[in-house]
Amino acid sequence: MSRSRRIRSAFVAALFAFLRRKTAVFFTFFFPILIILIFGALVQTQPTGGGLFAQEPAYYIPGYLGVVVVFTPLSRVGSTIARHRDGNRFEKLATTPLRRWEWLLAHTLVNVAIIGLAALLLFVLVLLVTGARITVGTGLLALVPLVVAGVALFCGLGAIIGRVADSQDGVIAASNAVAFPVWVLSETFVPPSMLPVWFRSVTALSPLTYFSRGVREATTGGDPTVALLVLAVVATAIFVAGAAAVPKTE
Amino acid sequence: MVEAETEAGAALVADDVRKRYGDTVALDGVSLSIPTGEVFGLVGPNGAGKTTLVRALTGTTRCEGSIGVLGAAPGAVDPHRIGLLPQSFNPADRLTARELITYYAGLYDESRPVGAVLDDVGLADDADTWYENLSGGQQRRACVGTALVNDPDVLFLDEPTTGIDPAGRRALWSLIDDLAAGGTTVLLTSHSMPEVERLADRVGLLRDGQVVAVGTPDELIAEHAGDSHLLVDGVGVDTETVAAALDSEVRERDSRLVVRNVALADVGSVVADLEAAGVDFESFTWAEPSLEDVYLRLTGEALREERDR
Repeated sequence: MSRSRRIRSAFVAALFAFLRRKTAVFFTFFFPILIILIFGALVQTQPTGGGLFAQEPAYYIPGYLGVVVVFTPLSRVGSTIARHRDGNRFEKLATTPLRRWEWLLAHTLVNVAIIGLAALLLFVLVLLVTGARITVGTGLLALVPLVVAGVALFCGLGAIIGRVADSQDGVIAASNAVAFPVWVLSETFVPPSMLPVWFRSVTALSPLTYFSRGVREATTGGDPTVALLVLAVVATAIFVAGAAAVPKTE
Repeated sequence: MVEAETEAGAALVADDVRKRYGDTVALDGVSLSIPTGEVFGLVGPNGAGKTTLVRALTGTTRCEGSIGVLGAAPGAVDPHRIGLLPQSFNPADRLTARELITYYAGLYDESRPVGAVLDDVGLADDADTWYENLSGGQQRRACVGTALVNDPDVLFLDEPTTGIDPAGRRALWSLIDDLAAGGTTVLLTSHSMPEVERLADRVGLLRDGQVVAVGTPDELIAEHAGDSHLLVDGVGVDTETVAAALDSEVRERDSRLVVRNVALADVGSVVADLEAAGVDFESFTWAEPSLEDVYLRLTGEALREERDR
């Protein structure tokens, strides 16, 4: 009871703190929409030979969802840690009953709520704008745990970046340096067949690859279980590492 | 770090506590014992080690030596029993004062009513204003409120009145008085000597990471501050002339003459002697020794000031 009270309290404070930053909220939703408009509407997929992309529009759904699943938690959690550290908030929290993993869980839940909503809007927008065709069925429900696991994973990674980087500027630079290659090269926009053979094993090391595979399976009537399990295990490990990285002392 | 053996009735005990940041020694063998219910003022120049000592006592920094907080090591003490206002604490700026206090209250199994805490820190009327829109003093009072929500047995306040206007400061002093009267042990750091003299039962003076004096304000003043004195202002007032007229120790400080060891009852006769000797002065001020004199003397700030001149 007291643990849920602590997490709820930290969740509400973090949610209010985020929602009142209108610019941050706007760009959380606007940036992925911009990506969809650029790649999905302007460049477009033309499997007959034209266009930048060689696959059917539905292939790129994981890439579009990945924008919010990767970029937002990485930069948000990382910069939140930097802000907390600058304001001596961790020093204060260290003297309260709130544990580090509880703090990270509360912030992860905020990201899950916001990114979940953004992902839903993006999903609908992708279908409308790009004409992507999906298999409608119960398999689509797997998108929920896939997004949750993906967000938790990158919140954990964001916490690690926030710990390592010494400023908010450093966090943003490091987040972008990590997020962009992960986002592009995890079977999202570039099919494995277009990559050198030796690089495919590198791709397999990216956790977002399993998010991509899972989303693709879920939206095409396949079985996302294996991808989801791998993603969940990696997300749990990185979340634990992230919780350990949340500063406890000065 | 090991847990210090707690003396009977002591809420906080530090024994030979040491801390280094690279080549810089922050704490150099600090030993203290603070009884339950005492308001202990920790003073010293910037960099003396005050905040590091607070961090050591709250377990938010690792150090050598032994520390006991309510009979436990800092990391093992029940967090419900301690409250902390860190130095330069800057909470989420787009929460209202009420939301901020509610947030920290929610971190404890039991907490004081949020409205009562807001009342205590004088923010009841501005409770629904975002933190970033509060004045500097109101912000600091909101921060103090976050340290009070769990009704702690030991309260650490690291420069709590920084940026607070005189009225707000007095309200906070009154609050600390009430907490102490209720049995709360308070460790307070401050650069304001009148504040410490007003609030603290005992004062510890840190210099270069060492405790150079501990005692009640009266004890410290009696031991270290010197005598009451008369400050004489005037153009062309000569030290030797005044010294000869009064047969007293006279020094020059800040372009004024300081006649030492003048009791309040003797001021009239001293002034008469000055006039009789033809000393042409403009004004005089009698001053009692204060904690500030202790601070200046023991930290070497006075010596540095004189040397700088």
